Amino acid sequence: MNIKDLPDEDYFTPGHTACAGCAAPAIVRNMMKIFGKDTIVYTPANCLLVFSGTYPHLAWKVPYLHEAFENTGACISGIARAYKKKGRKVIALGIAGDGGTYDIGIQALSGAAERNEDAIYVCYDNEAYMNTGIQRSGATPYGAATTTTPAGKKILGKLEHKKDMAEIMRAHEIPYVATLSISHPKDFLEKVKKAKETEGFRYLHVLSPCPTGWRFDPSKTIEIARKAVDSGMWTLYEAEYGEITKIYKPKKKIPVAEYIKGQGRFRHFTEEMIEELQRWVDRKWKRLYGEEP
Amino acid sequence: MYEIRFHGRGGQGGRMAAEAYALAAFLEGKYAVSFPIFGAERRGAPVKAFTRVDDKKIRIKTQIYQPDYVVVLDETLIETEDVLEGLKEDGMVIINTPKKPEEVELSKPVKCATVDATSIALEILGRPITNTAILGAIAKATGKVSIESIEKAIIEKFGARLGKEAGEKNALAARTAYEKTLVGVAKGGKEFKPRKKWLPTVEEMPIGGAIATMQTEAGLVGIGSFIENKTGDWRTFKPIINKEKCIGCKLCWFYCPEGCISMQDGKATVNYDYCKGCGICANECPTKAIKMEREVRA
Ligand SMILES: Cc1ncc(C[n+]2csc(CCOP(=O)(O)OP(=O)(O)O)c2C)c(N)n1
Ligand code: SF4
Ligand code: SF4
Ligand code: SF4
Ligand SMILES: [Mg+2]
Repeated sequence: MNIKDLPDEDYFTPGHTACAGCAAPAIVRNMMKIFGKDTIVYTPANCLLVFSGTYPHLAWKVPYLHEAFENTGACISGIARAYKKKGRKVIALGIAGDGGTYDIGIQALSGAAERNEDAIYVCYDNEAYMNTGIQRSGATPYGAATTTTPAGKKILGKLEHKKDMAEIMRAHEIPYVATLSISHPKDFLEKVKKAKETEGFRYLHVLSPCPTGWRFDPSKTIEIARKAVDSGMWTLYEAEYGEITKIYKPKKKIPVAEYIKGQGRFRHFTEEMIEELQRWVDRKWKRLYGEEP
Repeated sequence: MYEIRFHGRGGQGGRMAAEAYALAAFLEGKYAVSFPIFGAERRGAPVKAFTRVDDKKIRIKTQIYQPDYVVVLDETLIETEDVLEGLKEDGMVIINTPKKPEEVELSKPVKCATVDATSIALEILGRPITNTAILGAIAKATGKVSIESIEKAIIEKFGARLGKEAGEKNALAARTAYEKTLVGVAKGGKEFKPRKKWLPTVEEMPIGGAIATMQTEAGLVGIGSFIENKTGDWRTFKPIINKEKCIGCKLCWFYCPEGCISMQDGKATVNYDYCKGCGICANECPTKAIKMEREVRA
């Protein structure tokens, strides 16, 4: 599956009000081209809800629901079961942010995964609570400046490293877990297609660069996603029932220093901080690829 | 007391302008407050910010409905809404536009100052962020605060956030705008239809708020209705596609966040009604077939 195999038909319209250069609309629009019209979308509170579902206006051409922040897993479970009862085949699709996934939504998500509900959960990860003005989340990388982890005299950005959410989901041994990046279209589309064709609980985790919160020029969104993959800050793989079945390995690994360049949230980084972040990446790299970087 | 209302787009720094102006007035011994109006706005969407200045303590906390001055950071906003709404009889409007005051068309003839803050910002700062340049224009047009205080406020406020050099560059942008601001009278007569809202009664409101696509007097609502929201006026730069260089790889079509690129006869075409001018397509095109050019509006 590649870009040229995608249909022209869109289920996500222009006219939405995301910031110029936001990755999230490109992510959901292209996913929807594959999921198609028999899909019901649920989103909790986040940027995506606010820019594509500003009541009474919707950028979605499929049924779309919004409920509370913390219960995406429960809501898509309910949608999936109701339609099963009615004997209709639809995709119950939940799309939540990193805040709605790593932090506040993790209990409902874990429950739905453990029950192996027949639903798809997408986490679009912009590494902070963006809709409310850039607060740190469990997804925020080490050292990144947010409004709750500012770079100032006392601290220099977030003190902790990013939590590995995809690995937590893999540990649930569900039918399908995959990490995606919009900068790698073929890999991205194949994983979306595979998720569509799989039954049971499916978890897709996609990096979603945010020009406003990460403070970079909006034309660089895809370039930054690509550098995230090439540096190992973001890794691409898929797992079935807990076993890793496919790994994408960048042709040439670039240093994290190259990834953080041009992103205002890392502007204050010292040499020691770069080294700390690099050590984290190298540990992750070794775990995934089984070799020294 | 006098009151200023700033009209801008999210990300253009209207809020910082309102704050820096308040600081400049404070440096001259006045009392001053500033605040933005919060909403669900994203970068690029219309937003407002306010500044109040007085010789005594300010206790009013409301939005500003009858300003003495209206400041417009983005020229496209005067096309879509009546920025003069509530402006006092002898009030004045300060607009970022390459036009002369006499060439600007508004709902009524008013005192008007203009400056091409976007060009000044691009030249001095390398980015179309006009919130500091416009402050110089306000100083010139109103005479309410000196350009020296504006410069000091900018160096203090922007310098603290962006570093000393950036603070000084922004002060220079204000000074340049101060020198280039033209003061005159704008033309009146432009008509604005008040934008209608869909406001159903309790009986009309669907259960659970669930709505299907329907036409209302406020336009389309429900599924797919955002298509009526034209976001093309958010743009400062516009992608121009060189069809000769385009190899039809569809990468721009895939990456465009607005989904406003389509393929015609195997070549990419942009629908400018929606393009926000992010520049992703130009950055990603493998044959460099796309160039970003400054948007020129009639
Ligand atoms: C229970 C609850 N707490 C807080 C909020 C306020 N809130 C709305 S959106 C949001 C941030 C969402 O962050 P994330 O899930 O990462 O999505 P993003 O906006 O970053 O895309 C918050 C805190 C809420 N709506 N409900
Ligand atoms: S704040 Fe970030 S995630 Fe939210 S709409 Fe803007 S660019 Fe997208
Ligand atoms: S990315 Fe460039 S070459 Fe490819 S379709 Fe777009 S304009 Fe044409
Ligand atoms: S500039 Fe951005 S919004 Fe406009 S066509 Fe290119 S990618 Fe799409
Ligand atoms: Mg987030």
